[in-house]
Amino acid sequence: MTPPDAVRILLIDDEEIVLESCTEILRGSPFELATASDGARGLALLREVRPDVVVVDLKMPGLSGFEVLEKIREADPTIVSIVITGYATVSSAVEAMKRGAYDFLPKPFTPEEFRLIIRRSVEKRSLVLETMALRRERDLLREHFAAIVSHELKAPLAAIQQNLFVLERELAPLASEDQQGRLARVKARVGDLLQLIETWRRGVSIDIAAIKAHCAAVPVNVPIAKAAESLAVEAARKDIEVVSAVAEPAPVVWGDEVTLTETLVNLLGNAVKYTRPGGRITIGAEPFAGEVRIAVADNGVGIAAEDLPLVFDAFYSAQPGAAGERGSGLGLAVSRRIVEAHGGTITVYSTPGQGSTFVITLPIHRDDGPDGPRHEAAPVAASAKEGRR
Amino acid sequence: MTEHKQLLMIDDDPDFVSGVKAILDAAGYAVDVAYNPKDGFAALKKKRYDLLLLDIMMGRGAEGVMMARKIRKDPALKNLPVLIITGIREQVAFLFPGQAVHPRFMPVDELVEKPVEPALLLEKVEALLAASAASRKP
Repeated sequence: MTPPDAVRILLIDDEEIVLESCTEILRGSPFELATASDGARGLALLREVRPDVVVVDLKMPGLSGFEVLEKIREADPTIVSIVITGYATVSSAVEAMKRGAYDFLPKPFTPEEFRLIIRRSVEKRSLVLETMALRRERDLLREHFAAIVSHELKAPLAAIQQNLFVLERELAPLASEDQQGRLARVKARVGDLLQLIETWRRGVSIDIAAIKAHCAAVPVNVPIAKAAESLAVEAARKDIEVVSAVAEPAPVVWGDEVTLTETLVNLLGNAVKYTRPGGRITIGAEPFAGEVRIAVADNGVGIAAEDLPLVFDAFYSAQPGAAGERGSGLGLAVSRRIVEAHGGTITVYSTPGQGSTFVITLPIHRDDGPDGPRHEAAPVAASAKEGRR
Repeated sequence: MTEHKQLLMIDDDPDFVSGVKAILDAAGYAVDVAYNPKDGFAALKKKRYDLLLLDIMMGRGAEGVMMARKIRKDPALKNLPVLIITGIREQVAFLFPGQAVHPRFMPVDELVEKPVEPALLLEKVEALLAASAASRKP
């Protein structure tokens, strides 16, 4: 029986002599070698063998080495792959490495060359696995740390707030209007602080696993409409017009509607905050080169060039808004983590005095139904364009 | 209310407890308090309660969760309705990765966040007592 931690190598080559001699070379080594004489057989063995390293001949009848590499990457991107090439195919070796192969082995090779490249690949593989484990551990520690800190900070505040609730009730018939107002303000400030701690926790440890677990096909007009609705009152109060320009049919992303809405609420909230009364905000969404671009553009106060690289950092808060408002400095940091958890990016363009445009790019969700990838070919409606200023 | 419903609250923060108890007292409930899971479980064994208010994050980590599991295994207690009171919803999710945010610890349970508005607290307590009464009828 194979010990679970044995290092396994899968060799895919159509030449019987190569398979045999490599088996011979690795005999007595700590590595276990499985062989397949063509790409289809090799891929079929993938699940059974669970190799650490795959060695693939680029030139084979049937499935080409490139196709095999592609499938291996899809199955498990952590597998280290090496390609075997003939003298005449160095350029394809380069091509293979561009596509993620770790190294190449030109034919004919000596036993020592084969042993060496296998040893190096196994080393590489253990580094890859170790990095992944450390990264997971780091994320877990980070979340654990944030959960503990926020709990310790929130517990006393919750106790204070709970008693303020009681006092408010008990004092209602006794306290003067002035005293009741004071109590209400204390309550509001404690509430703000509780909210701030929660926002901080989310800023440093957005639960990426939870976002992924809630992912579904989301037409982007849905979170856009929800975000616009939640900011409608505030925008109306400042007489700011909010225009939405979403392509028809709405592009669809694979995402978590709740956190995507939260992100858009953050961007729209900022836009409202940093736009003067009577201003205008546009939310556009359009498919672009296999992705979906959502742009929130305002004609507000804008962001100074030296501040632009900082806006997505936690606790960065710009100068007070158009009416002196201040933020927690966390909204954009949280938004960036959410977008990145979706495999997207968020960028900002701004000219001081003229306004800012925040652009979110998310991978498009392809509908593999009978209509094919219809979202990509959708007509583009007028919308805010990236970098138009 | 013809008789006082008997409630037990288990929470290790005396100030928070007093803020909850005052609301429940004023609404006519009889509330006993335990400040740690051990005393809480002993109280449950000694007296019949209509409802348990349970803090999740007690002591070192989630002792409230252990408590809930223990209650669920106990044939005499498993139908006791429980109102879970927690610091943050996500914390519960964090403790149960991959499960619904509202884990059904008990056959009859509800979850509220700290701090809890008086109106919401009373609404949840009433709803749980009503659901529990309904489930006992044949």
